Amino acid sequence: MSALWTVFAKELRDAFRDLRMVVVAFVIMPLAVPSLLAGMSAIGARKQAEKFESLLELPVSGAEHAPNLVTWLGSHNLRIVDPPADLDAAVRDQRHEVILAISADYAVDWRAGRPARVELIFDSSRPLQSGATVARVRALLEGYDREVGMLRLVARGIHPAVARPLELGSRDVATPESRFDFSQQLLPYLLLLLGFVGGMQLAIDATAGERERQSLEPLLTTPARRSAIISGKILATAAFTMLSLLVTLLAFRVVFAWMPLERLDISMEVAPAALMQLFVVVLPVALLGAAVLTALAAFARSHREAQGYLPLLVFLPMIPTLFLMVSPVKTQPWMLAVPFLGQNQLILRILRGEPIAAVEWLINLGASLALVALVWAVAARLYHREQLAVSS
Amino acid sequence: MIEVRELRKSYRSRRGEVRAVDGVSFLAADGLITGLLGPNGAGKTTTLRMLYTLVRPDSGSVSVDGIEVARDPGRVRSQIGVLPDARGLYKRLTARENIAYFGRLQGLEPDFIESQTARLVEALEMQDFIDRRAEGFSQGQRTKTAIARALVHDPQNVLLDEPTNGLDVMTTRAMRGFLRQLRAQGRCVLFSSHVMQEVAALCDRIVVIAQGRVVADGTPDQLRTQTGMDSLEDAFVRVIGTEEGLLA
Repeated sequence: MSALWTVFAKELRDAFRDLRMVVVAFVIMPLAVPSLLAGMSAIGARKQAEKFESLLELPVSGAEHAPNLVTWLGSHNLRIVDPPADLDAAVRDQRHEVILAISADYAVDWRAGRPARVELIFDSSRPLQSGATVARVRALLEGYDREVGMLRLVARGIHPAVARPLELGSRDVATPESRFDFSQQLLPYLLLLLGFVGGMQLAIDATAGERERQSLEPLLTTPARRSAIISGKILATAAFTMLSLLVTLLAFRVVFAWMPLERLDISMEVAPAALMQLFVVVLPVALLGAAVLTALAAFARSHREAQGYLPLLVFLPMIPTLFLMVSPVKTQPWMLAVPFLGQNQLILRILRGEPIAAVEWLINLGASLALVALVWAVAARLYHREQLAVSS
Repeated sequence: MIEVRELRKSYRSRRGEVRAVDGVSFLAADGLITGLLGPNGAGKTTTLRMLYTLVRPDSGSVSVDGIEVARDPGRVRSQIGVLPDARGLYKRLTARENIAYFGRLQGLEPDFIESQTARLVEALEMQDFIDRRAEGFSQGQRTKTAIARALVHDPQNVLLDEPTNGLDVMTTRAMRGFLRQLRAQGRCVLFSSHVMQEVAALCDRIVVIAQGRVVADGTPDQLRTQTGMDSLEDAFVRVIGTEEGLLA
C-alpha cells in the first residue's frame, strides 16, 4: 500500500472513531438539511394557500361613499373593518398589509359615469409578507370593475364581448418536479455548502490538529513524501464529505416521503439517477473544499486560527446563489465553468428533471477539476515549508 | 553510523539573526551510544532535526551510513529511527495501530510489522497497553509507543531527542536498559539530553554542545582528563563555562 493510501485509510479510521464528527456528519446533517427544506417549502406553500383562501380583514376608509362596493367585497371572503387614523403609517408599521381608500368623490363620479377613484395602500418593499394579499384585493377590485362594466354595456344594448377584444388564457408548463419554489433556490446552496465545508472538522484535525498534538514531526520523519501525505489527507477529507453528503441525499427521500407534498402539487422526489448526477456534480466541490481546507489548515498556526477562516468559506458557495436569486438567468455555457455558479445551475437542472448535454458536463467537471489541481498544488507547497513542523 | 560535518543553521527572529547551530561536527559510530549534552537552547534539537531531514542546514553536511542527507533524504529516513522532541500519538488509535501506521509509511509488509511489533512490545514492556487507545496514556506509555513506532522498521541508526524527559524513575531505568540493548545489537544510538546524570549513565561518547558549538567531544574519561576534574559534573561546568541550564 502506498503512503498516500496509508494516510487516507488512517485518517478515515481516525475520523470514524471521533464520535462527534460522525454524529454531525451522519446524523445531524442528514436530518437537519432535508427537514429544513421540506419544512420551509411546506410552510411557504401553506401560507400562500392561506393568503388566498382565508378570511381577510381589509380596512376601508371612506366606506360610506361606496356602500355597494363594500357590500360586494364583504361577500367575497373579506371582512371590512374600520380604517386606522393614519393610513400610510399603519401600512408602513405593518399593522395592516393593505388598506383600501375610497375617494370622497366616488359617489359623484359613479353617478356621472366617470371612473370612480379607489386606492390601494401597500408597501411594495415587503413583497414576501404582503404581496399575495395585495394581489388578492387587487384581483377582487378588478373583478368588480369588470362585472359592473359589463352590466353597463348590457344596459346600453351592447354585447360585453365588444369591450373584450382579447381572450387571455394561460397554460402553465411547470411539472410537479419543476415546481418547488423556495427550496429550489436554497437546495443547491445547501448541497454545495455541505460539499465544500462538510469536511472541515476532518481537514483541520488532520493538519492543524496534527501539528498541535505534536504528531506531525514524527510523521515527517518517515520516508513518506509530503505530497503523498497531504494528498492522502485531502482525499480522506473529500471521501468523508461525500459519504456524509450521500447519506444526506438519501435522507431527502425518507424525509420527503413523510411530507404531504403531493397535496401542494409539489414533488421533491429525487430519482436514483438524479441522485447519482447530484453526487457527480458535488464531487469536485468536495475535492476543492478538502484541498482549500487542508491548505488553510497547513497555513494556519493553530486549530483556532484555521477555524477563523470558516465564515469566509461558508460565504463563497453562497455568492452564485444570491446572484441567481436577484437575477435569474438562463444557463450560458461559460457559467458552467465558474465554480459554484456552474454547479448551482446544474443542480437546479437536475432537480427540474432537465437533460444535461455531455459537453456541459465536460465544461463543468473540467473547469472544477482544474481548479482542484491548482489548490492541491498550493496545499502541497505549503506542506513543504520548513516552518510547518518546526514549532519551537 | 552518522557523520556530521560543519553544520550551521540560523534563524531570523525579531531581534535579528540567531545562530542556533554554528559549526557542529561529530561522529556517532555503530555499536556505541553517543550523547549530545548541552544546556537548554544550546542547539541540540536543531542539530538533530537536521540529521533527520526535517530542517535543511544552511551549510555543512550529514551522512547516514554513507548516504548524504541532502542528496537522498527519503532513503536516509528509512535508515534512521527517530524519537523527536514532539512525540504526539493519534489518541483515537491503539498503540498497536499507531505503530502499524508508521510501519506502513516505512513501506513494510504487514507480517513484518506484526513480528517487529511483538519484539518491541517485549523489549519495551508494553503488554499492558498495546491494544488500548492512546487517549489517556501516561507519559511513559506515550514515550514507549513513540519509540516503538520509531523503530518498527528496524533501523540501524536511532536518534532520540531527550528520551527520558518527563519519565519516572522506573521507566527511565527501563529506557536505559533498552538503549543498551540497541547498542548490544550493534546499532548507532545518538541521543540528546540536558541532564548530565543521564549522559553519564549511558554514554560511550559525549559531545558537549553550548551556544551552537561543540565545546568538548570524547569518552567520559577523556573529558575528565581534559578538564582536570575528577567528577564529570565539574568537567561539564568547566567546558560549558556556566552552570546555567545543565541541571534540570
